[in-house]
Amino acid sequence: MNSIRVLLADDHKLIRAGLRLVVDQQPDLSVVGEADDGRQAVELAKSLKPNVVVMDIGMPNLNGIEAARQIGEMDPGAAVVMLSMHSDEGYVLRALSAGARAYLLKDSATTDLVQAIRAVVEGKSFFSPAVSKVLLQDYIRKLQRSGAEDSYDLLSPREREVLQLVAEGKSNKEVASLLHLSVYTVETHRAKIMQKLNLKGVPELILYAVRKGIIS
Amino acid sequence: MREPDLKSEGGWPSRKLRLTLLISFGGLLALMVIAGLGALRLARQLQTQEEEIRQAFLAHSQPLLVLSSSIYVYNDRLQEYLMSQDPQSEGLASEEFSRLTAEINSTLRQYPGNRQPEERALLESLQQMFTEQEGMLNPVLSWSREERRRQALRFLNEEVLPQRSRINEASEKIALWNNQQLAAAGREMFASFASLQAQQTSLLAIALTAGLVLSLASIFYLLRLGEEAQRRYLELARSRAELEELSAQLVDAQETERRSISRELHDEVGQSLGALLVEVGRLAASVPSANTQIKDHVDKIKAVAETSVQTVRNIALLLRPSMLDDLGLIAALEWQGREVSRRSEMEVEVQSADVSEKIPDEYRICIYRLVQEALNNAARHSSAKNARVTVDQTADKILVSVFDDGRGFDPQRVRGLGILGMEERVRRLGGILNIDSKPGRGTTLKAEFPLPQS
Repeated sequence: MNSIRVLLADDHKLIRAGLRLVVDQQPDLSVVGEADDGRQAVELAKSLKPNVVVMDIGMPNLNGIEAARQIGEMDPGAAVVMLSMHSDEGYVLRALSAGARAYLLKDSATTDLVQAIRAVVEGKSFFSPAVSKVLLQDYIRKLQRSGAEDSYDLLSPREREVLQLVAEGKSNKEVASLLHLSVYTVETHRAKIMQKLNLKGVPELILYAVRKGIIS
Repeated sequence: MREPDLKSEGGWPSRKLRLTLLISFGGLLALMVIAGLGALRLARQLQTQEEEIRQAFLAHSQPLLVLSSSIYVYNDRLQEYLMSQDPQSEGLASEEFSRLTAEINSTLRQYPGNRQPEERALLESLQQMFTEQEGMLNPVLSWSREERRRQALRFLNEEVLPQRSRINEASEKIALWNNQQLAAAGREMFASFASLQAQQTSLLAIALTAGLVLSLASIFYLLRLGEEAQRRYLELARSRAELEELSAQLVDAQETERRSISRELHDEVGQSLGALLVEVGRLAASVPSANTQIKDHVDKIKAVAETSVQTVRNIALLLRPSMLDDLGLIAALEWQGREVSRRSEMEVEVQSADVSEKIPDEYRICIYRLVQEALNNAARHSSAKNARVTVDQTADKILVSVFDDGRGFDPQRVRGLGILGMEERVRRLGGILNIDSKPGRGTTLKAEFPLPQS
């Protein structure tokens, strides 16, 4: 069985040590390297070719978001699990835009890390439950205060299916074969969803899905 | 040099100074008015006096002259009568003489009562002459024509002609007396005018001297006040500049301090607590679920650690929003907006266009703190339901505005420390802060920063 290669990037040595223990406890996971800052993380990702990079956002020299972007451009095969202290959507959206597939709060990193690593390796997303909760609360509050109707109600059942599969990280082709539709039809559905929900790009779509509890 | 008396009990200028000015200028003015009125009165007096003298002169000299000429005419008629051989004129002559007599008597009666001795003598001699002439006439009238022809020449030479020369003499005396009278009156008037003039001149001299002294004193005092004002203004400007510099340094120092404390919290306390959390998490995972007592214990420790982490994180965020470093200005403002939305009843919307993330850090922190203060004020005091933050960047400046639909306030009257602080921060970067608010009409805060050209 092939071992999953993990690179840890965090400027706090103690936290890195704790995370390493969590990862190493799993027989199919192994930590192949540790980085002190974003720049080192990019270099090690280049040389060590890890499957997963577990990255803290707040790091000196190059922050986690920039580092994730550079790693994604360099090696699209390396999935990024973002670690953060903040559950705010500004961070989540930027992490997603930079190519991260999972977003973990540091508080619950030990509990959720293994699950998150396994999810991103399979091409899925993962978000700490606390993050989903904050995003949902913000969303509901906004709706209540503005008195606007929930745009999710505008979606047809088929569009909701497509939304979920796209948010889970499936390509148009995968969605098409799963739903027995043509790729062209899937593309049309996607465009309609984006329009109805007023979203720009996949990261916003994923954020929306997390917020609505469609994916976790 | 003594300090000018600027701040005694009466305020500025002091009551004492005001009183002094009032008295001195009032006195000077009164002096000038008195001198002017005096001069006017003098001129008028002179005119009346002259008129009086002329009237008096006319009243006395005219009748005298009339009298002497009437007597002269009387004498003339007498002479004519003596020489005449015309029988017709005899009857007419007696009639004419009685008319002349009546005329002379009426002139004498009209003569003014106030008479000087010399004048009285003149009058008496004229009366005397007239009596003599009347005395001469009576025998002549009773003469027959023959008698008249015989005696006329003798009578003429012995009586009438000497009388005539006496009348001429008296007439000359009267003229002389008149001239003397006139000259005397002129002299008298001149003397009284001279004394009045001297009085006026001295009054004028006093007024002029007082005016000169007063204006010199005023000029001196004004110059000194001006110097003093200039000195104080410079002092004020200097201390103001110093204060501005100081407060700028304070803001800088505050930000630096906050940043280093935040960094310290994040690096040291945050690291230890984070590690503690990881370890507790592992411990919790390794405790068998059957052992409830220990599991409860570990869960409690974990909860305390999580609260501590959260607290430290919030403090660090308050000191220095890590979003500014991690995500940039706009993301930090969006985060701030959401934070305020979560905590308060006000929903915040953040809009931005073309804002470069390369703007210098002091601008980013300034804009961030400005928006933070404005949103906090609105959420706390205005009962606003909505707020909108916009940030725009042009080639050479950044425009920030924060609008809320709250109850508003009067920016002229309400000037809290918060607004002062904002103004100070904006001014430091050469920007302009403008707060537009009216009670009941919401508040719009606008700031404009010139960008350094790189």
